[in-house]
Amino acid sequence: MLEIVRFAFDILAFTAVMVLIVLGLGVIASMMGIFNFAHGELVLLGAYTVFIAHDAGLGIWWGILLAPVVVGLFGVLLERTIIRRFYASPVIAMLGTYAIGLIIREIVRGLLGGQYRSVPEPWDGSWSAIGLNFSIWRTFIIATTVLVIAGSWLFLTRTSFGLRIRGSLENPMLARACGISTHLLYTATFAFGAALAGLAGALIVPLYQLSADMGLRFLVQGFLSVMLGGVGTFEGPVLGAAAIGALASGLPWVVPPVLADPLVFVIALVIVKLRPQGFIAGARK
Amino acid sequence: MSKQTSSPSRGLRDRVIPLIEISVLAAALVTPLLMVKSPELITLATNILILSLLAISFDLCWGYSGIMSFGQALFFGVAGYVVALVGRDLGFSHAWSTLPLAMAVGLLLSFLFAAFLLLGRRAPTVIFVALGTLTGAYAAERLVSGWQYVGAGNGLSSVKLLQIGSWELVEGPGFYYLVLALLITSYGASRYLVRSQFGLVLAGMRQNEERLAFFGYRIQVFKALIFSFAGLLAGLGGALFAYHQGFIGPGSLGPGLSTTAVLYALFGGSGTLIGAVIGTALIETISYVLADQDAIKQYWPVILGFVLLAVVVFKPTGVVGFFVSRRERIGSYGGRDDGKRRR
Amino acid sequence: MSQSKIDSPTVPGAKRSRRGFLFGASALAAAGWTAGGPGSWFLPAAWGQGKKAIKMGIATDITGPIAPSGNSNWQVAQLAVEQINATGGIAGRPVELFLEDTASDPKAAVANVRKLIQRDQVDVVLGGITSAMRQAIKDPIVNRGKTLYIYPQLYEGQECTKHLFNTGPTPAQQCDELIPYLIKTVGKKRFALPSANYVWPQLLNKYARKVIQANGGEVIFEEYYPLDQPEYSSTINKIRDGKVDCVFSTVIPPGLQPFTKQLYESGFQQRGGIVSCVYFDENSLNYVAPRELEGVFSCLDFFHTVDDPYSKELLAAYAKKFPDTKYLFTAGSASTGMYRGIRLYEAAVNTTKGDVAREAVSAALDKAKIEKGPGGGAEMVPGKMHAKMNMYVAQCRKGTTDALRWDIISKYPMVDPKEC
Repeated sequence: MLEIVRFAFDILAFTAVMVLIVLGLGVIASMMGIFNFAHGELVLLGAYTVFIAHDAGLGIWWGILLAPVVVGLFGVLLERTIIRRFYASPVIAMLGTYAIGLIIREIVRGLLGGQYRSVPEPWDGSWSAIGLNFSIWRTFIIATTVLVIAGSWLFLTRTSFGLRIRGSLENPMLARACGISTHLLYTATFAFGAALAGLAGALIVPLYQLSADMGLRFLVQGFLSVMLGGVGTFEGPVLGAAAIGALASGLPWVVPPVLADPLVFVIALVIVKLRPQGFIAGARK
Repeated sequence: MSKQTSSPSRGLRDRVIPLIEISVLAAALVTPLLMVKSPELITLATNILILSLLAISFDLCWGYSGIMSFGQALFFGVAGYVVALVGRDLGFSHAWSTLPLAMAVGLLLSFLFAAFLLLGRRAPTVIFVALGTLTGAYAAERLVSGWQYVGAGNGLSSVKLLQIGSWELVEGPGFYYLVLALLITSYGASRYLVRSQFGLVLAGMRQNEERLAFFGYRIQVFKALIFSFAGLLAGLGGALFAYHQGFIGPGSLGPGLSTTAVLYALFGGSGTLIGAVIGTALIETISYVLADQDAIKQYWPVILGFVLLAVVVFKPTGVVGFFVSRRERIGSYGGRDDGKRRR
Repeated sequence: MSQSKIDSPTVPGAKRSRRGFLFGASALAAAGWTAGGPGSWFLPAAWGQGKKAIKMGIATDITGPIAPSGNSNWQVAQLAVEQINATGGIAGRPVELFLEDTASDPKAAVANVRKLIQRDQVDVVLGGITSAMRQAIKDPIVNRGKTLYIYPQLYEGQECTKHLFNTGPTPAQQCDELIPYLIKTVGKKRFALPSANYVWPQLLNKYARKVIQANGGEVIFEEYYPLDQPEYSSTINKIRDGKVDCVFSTVIPPGLQPFTKQLYESGFQQRGGIVSCVYFDENSLNYVAPRELEGVFSCLDFFHTVDDPYSKELLAAYAKKFPDTKYLFTAGSASTGMYRGIRLYEAAVNTTKGDVAREAVSAALDKAKIEKGPGGGAEMVPGKMHAKMNMYVAQCRKGTTDALRWDIISKYPMVDPKEC
């Protein structure tokens, strides 16, 4: 019994991390049809913001609050200047965002001097129940993830702004004809996705070391999550990320970790091939 | 260009690519003669020729059949590994059989990939194909990094020298001309392919996939064929790379090198073949020169990022696009109105 | 420590000729990469009437993920060569340094190292940090390049290539004293060997397992992870279930932090478990959280706290030459092996009376010996390509202030590398 609780918590904790990272990627892919190769670097920027805030003596909580704002604003800038040129061709968008990601990553690498940096959790240590220790920060991440999912979902389904976003997604022409500024909506959506990435980076950096490649590590898994869940919905990528997260943290319990790692990709790719529309068939292919 | 059908008024202006090809060929032929005193430059030049094979391989996929491959280095690297292993475990490195072996490996592997990604009941989305190649290369890199038999993260070093008869090739003019000969052959074959009847179908696909499908062409099969041929070239490049470097590691089959190949081709100008070669030469040379500038060196990847961004945003036709008209670049087979229709 | 990642396009062709260095160094310093004035090591113009300089090539990772270690290597090389030239060079010949950046990427490194060999025609190459890098560049240097190669990093052993000398600690040197100490003195018997999946941990563990068993300990499990694995719950679980009381870890960054964090949070240390990690040095204080680092055991050829006058002198000279540098002179970054390698080479060429032909130097280097160095003297074991050196077992503890430092527990003089 203890074993199962332990196992469930660990898998849940990693799944939460995965979902948090994929959320922003999924929003941008689903709503705008753009696979953002720079997503890992937006996560990195969030983490870097926390590091800077911590370094400047501002405190980690401030960093965590600032990260989504900073990265969200950066998202606005990116969308306004570059991303909007790519809407016509999703493949070109991949190349363009790859280039953006490369630029950000290498600049951060230079700023960090190639070093690994550690950022402490604002709440460290662990709490115990039924004779087991649970990390406080991981618990916090699980709770935050649930809140963020709930919040984003309510925002997209229960507000008029969300309605407009979904409307423009279903039929951009008609939305424009109805007087909705799809341009503005796209900017807002991209910024929202970027802000989610920033938040993810800020929350996970205490778990992992800050280094230029920290976001990149999750990129391919993130893409697979989105494909797996189904592009074009909000729930799809979340489910996909949950599946990948569970797979990535669960497999090492049964097969050697070195084998488990590539296996996750192979399994995910095969599922996507067999079910290209994803878990949840969406509005946009 | 032999099948040019009409418009006698088209003069040399419309045939810039052959001119560029001839100039590049001439330059490639004399290069080593100018570098007798500096062997490291011949090494660089040989490297450029080898990487050009990879760039051409990518260009065939993207420039000629619209497959965005983020995993072209996979076929390159696996073939490199295979010849390195054959050298290590069988002590065998005769060019007459290891190079064809490498090509076969590249062909087979890319065919399997194409079969999985492209063929099937439903036509795959471009995104799926792009992410599929990316995932394949990424998973392969991670698998190889953890696999002891192939040297894991260390890769395979001290690769047995390439042999032709009793002659062992080390880096230098001999190796250079061997690679050049193979590159010219590969280039010629690719050029013939994209300008043959087969190439006509490819050109048609580029203009309008639906229309071609409507005519009854099985476009996914055509794509799979060109992808496999591209894999063959990448395999040849990978084998030469392993022999020339004396080393092959996991970095040589991952998305890192794959995206570098993307950059070569796009920078030079995709869909022209020669653009891939020019792009490789330019980027590798600039990188070699800039490496002396310490202040810049560290930010070289950033510069590459900006270059790629500038190309995709402002100059999708690449460097070659400055000289070559749009009609010639596409191949001018697809019909009169192709200039107006964007893919 | 090879890194697996989706990489940026490679940075091939990064060369720095002597001329390039003179121009480049100030730019580097301005960019915050290196402190210390440029050119200070450089040959005085009036030097060496007619005496040809000895060309020493340094091939190390100036950029990329391994750059922090590589830069400290380069700085240490400059310090050592400056010291040598200040005392009249080697057998009257000055030493001239050539740097090539191996860029933490074996693919790019091969091309760059060839420049040292083919263009600069150096007499000896020192460098390479990771095993992957050594494997990649040894062939262009030793076989195709017919040049002497000195590899400075602590590593997995079994490198017995002719003309390739290793000046860092081997598994025997790192395990032979530490493990008996952990078992007999600290009293821990149930070992877990969680490791990053590459060759150093694999061969180190193979050796460690033998020593553990020979001393009455027991290996509960030995497991390998991708270098950047972010999740270790199954491992932590095995540690708990197996009642492991000593974690002998060879997990490296970027997988390191999640591992140490998850291990700590599972309450392993509170339950009396101990952690040992034999590449941890002064740099670890910067990237491992203090509560996770406190109490960790390490075994290296040098710590800043070593009680040896020459070591202290060296650290002072390094601090003076590179004030405020972020690249520390430590054992785990191969800096000690680099210093030792240059000094051993000096000793060898002194024996050959300035002859730098490979066969002659190789023969002399085989028996070379130095009295002083970081952590003490060292001597090559004839015919074995490896060096005997002092080893120190240390534990990370809080000092008089709250800052952590490595407290030397015991010194073991001239430990045998037991290789080849």
